[in-house]
Parts: sequence; C-alpha cells; structure tokens
Amino acid sequence: MLFKKKKKDIEDEHLKNLAKIVGQKSILHHKEDLLSYDCDGFTIHKSLPKAVIFPKNTEEVVAAVTYCSTHNIPFLARGAGTGLSGGAIPLHEEVVISLVKMKNLLSVDYENRQAVVQPGYVNLKLTNSISAKGYYYAPDPSSQYVCTIGGNVAENAGGAHCLKYGVTTNHILGLELVLPNGEIVEISENGVPDMPGYDLLGILTGSEGTLGIVTKITVRILKNPEGKKTVLAYFDRVEDGSHAVSDIISAGIVPAALEMMDHTAIEGVEAGAFPVGHPKGIEALLLIEVDGIIEGIDEQIDQILSVCRNHNVRDVKVARDEEERGRWWANRKTGFGAMGAISPDYLVQDGVIPRSTLPKVLNNIKEISNEYNLRIANIFHAGDGNLHPLILFDSRIEGETEKALKAGTACLKACADVGGSITGEHGVGIEKKEEMRFIFTDDELEAQIAIREVFNPNDLLNKGKLFPTPSRCMDIKKVIKETAAAQ
Amino acid sequence: MTATEKELSNESPPCATNKLSNYLWEDHPDENKWADCVHCGMCLESCPTYLETGQEQHSPRGRVHLIKSVAEGKLEVNEQFMDPVFQCLDCRACTTACPADVDVGGLIEEARGQVRQAMPLTGMKGAISSFFLKGLFPHPNRLQAAGGLLKFYQKSGLQKAVRSTGALRVMPKHLAEMEAIMPEITTSVRKKYKDVEVIPAKGTPKAQVAMLKGCIMDVMFGDINQSTINVLTHNGNDVELPKNQTCCGALHVHAGDRETGKKLAKQNIEAFEKSNKVVVNAAGCGCALKEYPELLRNEPEWKERAEAFSEKVEDISKYLYDTGYEKPTSSINKRITYHDACHLAHGQGVRHEPRQLLKDIPGVTFIEQPNADTCCGSAGIYNITNPEMATAVLERKMENVPDDVDMISMGNPGCMLQMAMGVQKYGRSGEIVHTVQLLDWAYQEDQKKQPQTTDARKE
Ligand SMILES: Cc1cc2nc3c(=O)[nH]c(=O)nc-3n(C[C@H](O)[C@H](O)[C@H](O)COP(=O)(O)OP(=O)(O)OC[C@H]3O[C@@H](n4cnc5c(N)ncnc54)[C@H](O)[C@@H]3O)c2cc1C
Ligand code: SF4
Ligand code: SF4
Repeated sequence: MLFKKKKKDIEDEHLKNLAKIVGQKSILHHKEDLLSYDCDGFTIHKSLPKAVIFPKNTEEVVAAVTYCSTHNIPFLARGAGTGLSGGAIPLHEEVVISLVKMKNLLSVDYENRQAVVQPGYVNLKLTNSISAKGYYYAPDPSSQYVCTIGGNVAENAGGAHCLKYGVTTNHILGLELVLPNGEIVEISENGVPDMPGYDLLGILTGSEGTLGIVTKITVRILKNPEGKKTVLAYFDRVEDGSHAVSDIISAGIVPAALEMMDHTAIEGVEAGAFPVGHPKGIEALLLIEVDGIIEGIDEQIDQILSVCRNHNVRDVKVARDEEERGRWWANRKTGFGAMGAISPDYLVQDGVIPRSTLPKVLNNIKEISNEYNLRIANIFHAGDGNLHPLILFDSRIEGETEKALKAGTACLKACADVGGSITGEHGVGIEKKEEMRFIFTDDELEAQIAIREVFNPNDLLNKGKLFPTPSRCMDIKKVIKETAAAQ
Repeated sequence: MTATEKELSNESPPCATNKLSNYLWEDHPDENKWADCVHCGMCLESCPTYLETGQEQHSPRGRVHLIKSVAEGKLEVNEQFMDPVFQCLDCRACTTACPADVDVGGLIEEARGQVRQAMPLTGMKGAISSFFLKGLFPHPNRLQAAGGLLKFYQKSGLQKAVRSTGALRVMPKHLAEMEAIMPEITTSVRKKYKDVEVIPAKGTPKAQVAMLKGCIMDVMFGDINQSTINVLTHNGNDVELPKNQTCCGALHVHAGDRETGKKLAKQNIEAFEKSNKVVVNAAGCGCALKEYPELLRNEPEWKERAEAFSEKVEDISKYLYDTGYEKPTSSINKRITYHDACHLAHGQGVRHEPRQLLKDIPGVTFIEQPNADTCCGSAGIYNITNPEMATAVLERKMENVPDDVDMISMGNPGCMLQMAMGVQKYGRSGEIVHTVQLLDWAYQEDQKKQPQTTDARKE
C-alpha cells in the first residue's frame, strides 16, 4: 500500500455541512487538490486552505458565508488567482470561496451603455461578447485573458488603456455584495451613476476582498473609438525614453496608452512566446497608442513622432495594420509571464511616482539592482507613472527569496520617497502591508481599519491582508513605541 | 549490463541516483521545465479541463504546481495526484497560451510515466489500455486483422444487426456511441502497396518523400492514406513507404508507457534514417515524431539521431504549402469549416497552411469557426478512458461549429472520429473529412475532365 490511497470521504463536520450547501462535486478537501490554492500570482508565501468551495449562485454564497461566520471559520474570496500581492492566499486555513463557477454575462443594455456580470466572468470575455456591436469594456489589465471582473473590482485593476479611460473604479456602476454576516446588499441597483450619499462603490472597489464578497457587478461599457493608431519607439538611453514620455503628455496629448519597457524586460519578452523582433541593444522602448475620432489621430501621431525624434529615438514606427498592432500588444501584455523564460521566479512591484521623477527613480532602481545583485526588469505604464519593477530571482538558491523581497521593499521606498505610492493597481495584499507605513501614519491606518470593522467586524473575511500586522492599531502603536524605546 | 540485468533494473526498486525526491523512477519530470513557470495563470482560460471544472488542480498551472510539489517532497505519487495528471487532454492549448513557453505537456507525460510505474493500471481500464497499446497498435498484422474483422462486421450486415437488435445496449454508453460512427473500412495502404517500395510521382519527379502510414490511420482510414499518396504524387513527389516503420508511440507516451514509446521511436528513427523528408497526415503522430528528441532526452546518442529525424518530419498540409501544389480547377461547391487539431495548431504551429489549401479549391466557401483551436475531446484514447470529460469537451466544441456547413475538415484521424460522434450526437450537419481528401477529390475531378492523361497511380 505504498502508493495506493483510497479517496477519503469528508471527515470534518464543518466541511460536510459546507458540502451540503454547494454539493459534493463543488468542494475540494484533499491536500493534493488544495495545493493549487496555496498561493496566487504572488508565490513567495504559500499556505493551504481548509477547503475550497465553488458556489453556483448568490444564494449558495450567502449560505456558505453565513455558515462560516456562525461557526467562526475564516474564509476568503478567490477569482482566477492572478493577484500579484497575495490577496487570495489563505493565511489562516481559510475556506476559499471560488467564484469562478459564477461566470455568466447576465445582461447588456446598449442603450444605457452598461452590462451586468457575475463575479467570475473573465474580463476579456466582456469585450469579446460586445465587440461585434461596436462596444468594449475599458479596463484592460494585462491579465485580462484570464482574470475575473470580481477580482478586478477587489483590486481596482488598471491596465494599459487606463491612462485615458481610468481604472476599474471609474467603470463600476453597481454592486451586489454578500457581507461577512451573510447579508446581501445592493449598491446602486440600477446602475445610476453618482447616487447621493457616501461613495460606497468607491470604498468597495479596491477593498481587496476584505469588506464583502462581490456577487454581481454592473459595469459601464464604451463605444469603440472611431480610429486607433499605435507607435513603437526604440531608444538607446532610458533617459531619452523618459523625457519623451513627459514631453508627450505636456504637449497636451492624452494617449490611450503609453507603455515602457527597459533592456532586461525586452530580453524577457523576446525570449518568451510572443516575440516581436525588437532590435538588439535597445535600452528602452515605448508603446504608444492614440484613439478617438479619426480626424485628430494623424496630427497626434505626427506630434508623437517628432517628440521621439527630439529625444534621439533610434527607430520609431507606426503599426501597419491590426495584425501588427496585435503582435505588439501581445508582446507587451504577456510581458510578466515571459520573464519565466529568463528567470525561474520574479517578484513584481507596483509603485506609482510623479511622472517627472521617472528618470531619477529608474536610476534608483538600477542602483538597488546592483546593490542586491539581482536583475530588475522594468515594464510599466509610463504614462501614469505606474512602475512595475520585476525583480528576477531563483527561489531554489538559498537566501535569494529574502534578498528579492528586500530589493522589492527598497524599490517601493524609492517611490514613496519621491512622493509616490506603493501600489498602483496590484493591491497591498500580504505583500506590501508593512510598506503601508511608508505612506500612512498610524492615525490614517486606524481610520481605515475602522471602516473595515463596519463591514467585517470579526475579521473573518480575508484576515491579515491590506494593513500591517499586528493589524489592531493599539498593537501597532505598542510596537512603534517599543521600537522607539529600544532605539 | 546484460539484457536481463537491464530488465531487472527497470522493474526493481528505483535506483538512488535517478530518483528525484518522491519521484522514484528514472526519467522523472524535468526540473528545468517547471522552473520556467512563474505561476501567472495566463494559461487558465485556454485549458478545456479547467473551463469544464473551474478547479485549478485541473489547470495547467495547477498541474505544474502538483508535479513540482512531488519533486519537492510535499506530495506522493498517489491516486489523488494521478487524477489531474490523467485528466489532462494533452491538447497543448496551454503551450500556446503560456508566455514563458513552459512545456506543460512534456511535464505531464513525464509525470504519467512515474504514475504508471507507481500504480500499474488494473481492472477494466488496465485491460482496455494494454489491449490497445501493447497488443494492437504496435502490431500491423494484428491491426490489419482487426481492421479486417471490422470490415467483415460492416459488410456482413452484422453491424446492422447489432445496431437494430439493441446488442449495443450492453456496451458502455460511450463505446456504443463510438461504434455508431466507426468509419467505413477501406483497403489499407500497407496491404495495397505490400510489394512497392516507391510509388512514382506523376510526371517528372521533383522530390522524394517518405510517408508515415500510421497504425489506426492505415486500418480505419485507408482512404486518407490513399488520398495523401495521390496528392503527393500528383504534385511531383515520389512516395516511399519504408517497410520497418511502426506506430508513432504517441498514445503510449500519453498513457504513461514511456518505455514502449521509446522502443517504437527508435524503430521509426531507424526505419526513416535514409529518407530526407517524412510526411505525416495525422497531427497526433506528426507531433509525437517531432518530440522524439524530448522522449529520448536521457539517451544522448539516440537524442542526437532523434533530432536529425524530427527535423525531417512535416505535416502534409505544411509540406504541400511550403513546396508548392497545383491548384485544382474543378469545383467542390461546399460550405466548409476547419477544425484545428490540437497537435497541429498547438503542437506544431500549423494553422494557416491547411486553411489556405481549402481556400485554393474552387467552389469552397470557407467558414471560420469561433475558437477553432479548442480541443474536441478525442485526445488519443482519452475518449475511451475519460468518457465523461471527453463528452463535456466535445459538447463545448460543437457549440462553436457553425450549423450550416456541408463539411468539417481537419487533419487528424482521432479528431475525425470524435467530431463524427459530435455531429451524430447533437444532430448536426457536416460530413467529416480530412483536408487532403478534399484536394484529392478536386484533382480527381480535374483528371476526369482530361481522360487522355495516363494515370501513374495503381488504381
Ligand atoms: C501576468 C499578470 C499581469 C497582470 N497585469 C495587471 C495589470 O496590468 N493591471 C492590474 O491591475 N493587475 C494586473 N495583474 C494583477 C491581477 O491580475 C489583478 O489584480 C486582477 O484584478 C486579479 O483578478 P483575479 O480574478 O485573478 O483575482 P484573485 O487573484 O483571485 O483575487 C484577488 C483579490 O480579490 C479578492 N476577490 C476576488 N474575487 C472577489 C469577489 N468576487 N469579491 C470580493 N473579493 C474578491 C480576493 O480575495 C483577493 O484578495 C496582473 C497579474 C498577472 C499574473
Ligand atoms: S504554465 Fe505558463 S502561463 Fe501557466 S502559470 Fe506557468 S508560466 Fe504562467
Ligand atoms: S494540455 Fe490541454 S488539458 Fe492539459 S493542461 Fe494543457 S490545456 Fe489543459
């Protein structure tokens, strides 16, 4: 009997009861099956959940949540598990409530330009389903091929085209939410924007799954722009690229997207599955897209081309057709994953800085890379100053993971020091909760925790995320006092 | 090492130098393959089994994670591990989706090798599997006999009798469904060209190519092999049929029987050593032949020969496209859609060529189907071993096949059977054809129009 193990029946009483709620086929409880849920896109921390359940509708979510909270069982929501800050990692043997079986497009109202989706509906599917009618859903995180709109709401996801169109929060018109006590709340049920009173949608969007479980989402859909053109520019010096970015924006152009990749990032994407054939020895490339009414586009493109030329561009070109444009974007959007081709692991950071400080911060990051002797690739939304330093490391080498984490923190510090933020779109999760102290005072943290307590008083939902540990303010204060005393 | 010693070492407890943590047997999954995976999840939505279950252990990312965890000593090779590893369709859609080019398929095949050694198949599944894999496919004579029986079964009226008397009801449902779509057995190329080494090109020969006859292809789909020969000779190719060639071994490798797979691989490498080009009309076989270097990665000398061999392997549609083919003048006035066989599109990157071939036939209205490159659920003998998942995957596939087509064209016999089942089961239209058949039929029409040309073919 060395290898043969019979499938065991559920022994745990709680899991038996949860299985009754969602059905035997919709619960995972074997260690082997749970293993896939021990982390998300942030792989540095791993721990197993108690079980994973797959509710098929809001009623099942309500029943499961009510059961968990009645019995004091911690739980959390999970979408596609592409989060990069560990938001979906079960730190306290949570019951993971996976929303991926709730994946329907419920309705589309073209007249009022809105659509209603279930939380497990995949981002790109929305655009794909409405594009034939000339509409699209604007927030386009690079993970849009797989990530869920529920996860996007939780992380307030952004994307390449958010420079012009705004991030997820600008496109959410209404939410249905199951509170940790099992109560259903509907916010802005009919999707009417700008309801009077507190902006609850704003609080919930980006709350990283700590306030409630989103079970239905009303989103804004947009009419496809009349025209669209895409430019690719290669630079021999990072500074030239950065200055070009600043000048494009100060020329009054609002590109739909303005993306940058540095030398190491280019090496990665060219080694990956969607290479474009970028020339060798390039230090920075810009991918710029303008869209809107056809008349204005060529003029803006001319302006962009001349800005690039003013900054010693080595080569600059406009995509010939949709096919070429598609290849450029696939190359950019699969950039994170492509790093696997040049490094066994990566840690992606997500700092935001004032655009004008771009050359300085990129320089700092280079210094950090030298100091820790780890390669750092930069692939990011340059237009809105949202940096993504990717720290490349090999977790099989002893001590390298810790080194990578430290380098990551140093990068965030560099961003905070120039007046920026520690996250643009990937969220705090468990990854950056300590770094929250870089930008918030204790009082500010305390105020935020007070909000959480209104929704999630017992901290059973997604415990240990978003705020520094120990998360109770009193404790934080104690720790700070103790450290001060010790110094 | 003597032969017996060698045999013993395969059976006996694993040798310490070759194991990797909880992988106790040789030829364990390759560490470098999972080192490429950064756990980004970009593969999730490409995976039919994830789409069906929504469960990540049935996704490429989950499978890689599981396989890695055994190597890290966190898990054992047991039933619970086996399930996701064997539910994989080996469709390679994840290979296309993965930005880091992780060879998920290769890892899964290697893991299956470990599972099969840890837990040899028993019971009905074991019997079916070893009957097909060991008893039938590698033995052309037996297959021929089986084909003969099938033919007898069809011709004798027995088939009709079985179908009308309800004898089918005693078969498991999915096997009964398979029976219903069994193709009309035609003469196998192997039998027909028993004494022929090279079938001459029509007109002046441009090139000489060898053809893989395949095992099932030749018995159940002899006419497709014939069409392939016709199309090749029509376009100035001498076609050789090396005698010692055998089954490609894909099904064995998919099932975790890597040892038989390797034996067959070596036999084929030898059989085709003198040929310059090896043309294949079955996507699954072509992909397997191209992956021989991977299969033989631990045997340096063979690996080198395998590399030289796999360079020569080409799918028929790509070969024709690359070397040029005569565009037929006769029309086939049909609405035709194309299904990308996984092992052509994802496995070999061949997508454009077969479509172009179809579009070059006058009269064809080509209808693209959405998600043309999603798996149909055939996946070798997957539809026999995992009928439930195969059926679910097929249903999804059929939702994408346009309603109003006359024909569904593709480049893989396994898909043809499965899609035929889909058409039958869901009451759809569409005759299932192999892409080269269409080209062959158009050429035949051309020929009829100019009866003065002498036909070099044997028919
Ligand atoms: C390769 C790659 C590229 C990426 N690019 C971008 C990018 O360009 N922009 C960007 O913003 N992000 C990006 N991300 C990060 C990630 O894709 C987003 O954060 C995304 O929104 C997560 O969605 P998900 O469905 O995977 O959620 P998960 O990872 O499953 O969950 C994320 C968080 O949301 C919570 N959650 C999930 N569903 C619900 C729900 N229904 N109700 C309440 N809480 C819920 C979870 O508890 C968790 O805290 C990228 C990730 C990868 C791997
Ligand atoms: S297999 Fe590829 S796509 Fe899937 S998680 Fe790993 S790196 Fe990402
Ligand atoms: S080969 Fe197909 S079934 Fe297997 S993991 Fe990849 S996509 Fe999924």
